[in-house]
Amino acid sequence: MDNDLQELEAELKRLRPIAPSTFTVERIERALASRRRSFLAWAALPLAAALVGLIAFREKPGAARAVPGPLAPKSVATYKPVSADNVLYDRTDEGLVTLADGSTARRYRSSYVDTITWRDPRTQASLRWSVPRTEERVVPVRFQ
Amino acid sequence: MTLFRKAPTTDRMEDVPDDDSWRNWFDRHGPKLLLCARQWTRSLADAEDVVQEAFIRFWRHQRKLGGEPQALLITSLRRAAIDLARSNARRGAREELADGGLENTGPVFETPFEGDDRRQAIEDALRHLPAEQREVLTLKIWGELTFEQIAAQLGISPNTAASRYRYALGALRHVLTAADCHG
Repeated sequence: MDNDLQELEAELKRLRPIAPSTFTVERIERALASRRRSFLAWAALPLAAALVGLIAFREKPGAARAVPGPLAPKSVATYKPVSADNVLYDRTDEGLVTLADGSTARRYRSSYVDTITWRDPRTQASLRWSVPRTEERVVPVRFQ
Repeated sequence: MTLFRKAPTTDRMEDVPDDDSWRNWFDRHGPKLLLCARQWTRSLADAEDVVQEAFIRFWRHQRKLGGEPQALLITSLRRAAIDLARSNARRGAREELADGGLENTGPVFETPFEGDDRRQAIEDALRHLPAEQREVLTLKIWGELTFEQIAAQLGISPNTAASRYRYALGALRHVLTAADCHG
């Protein structure tokens, strides 16, 4: 590539594309925050169950301590993710809903299959993981 | 100088923060992602939707996978754009990715304090590039992907990606030089 093209390439790299709108940033913030709240609520359940189990075990007289078994050999394979695909197979517009704060929003329900592929570059062995996922999006509606 | 050098990636997965400071990360990568999304969508609003969906998916499920986050994010962007095109197809449009005309309204780049005419000339020249060349140029310059990664994204060979990139730069230089000559 000649010098002119390299200079043009450098000039293009200096240009900063315009940023996503604050509305998009707010929508991301809301989505990540709602996910965190629901995760905390669900995480509390197994934690509480484990705590109850631990107390019951400690209070049981003469309970034998579990002896740890032999350690599993460490895997020497080093898998790295090479692709992540998300296939949408259904999207439903559930219409207008009223949120807790009284504002109006439109609710969409999307069903995906996420597929992530890892590959060990040394052996070329690959591992593919697919999981179905349902996503609910609530998009604020503004009437003008 | 070879065209197949390794692209200077600004971040690797280990640089993606474990905590919730997604905002700093998004400030740095959001603009580039939006420009990439505009290559595959029909409007800026669609591109913003695609960025939102891909980023949330990445932050929730993919940021701790290891490897290079930019490539995973762009895969996610393209997939979200395909999903959007499919969704639009159900309403009667054709099921295919938009050719991302960058629209004729609204800026593509931030306005620098000086040299705004030059920025405008570059934006105009970019808009007139064939979509397949602009797509490769955008993924290389602002998406920071290697030709191999671009080839994998678009289903073309690395040589084709490199050729389109070189044609795009050549066409831009031609248009910009002509613009300079004509004032």
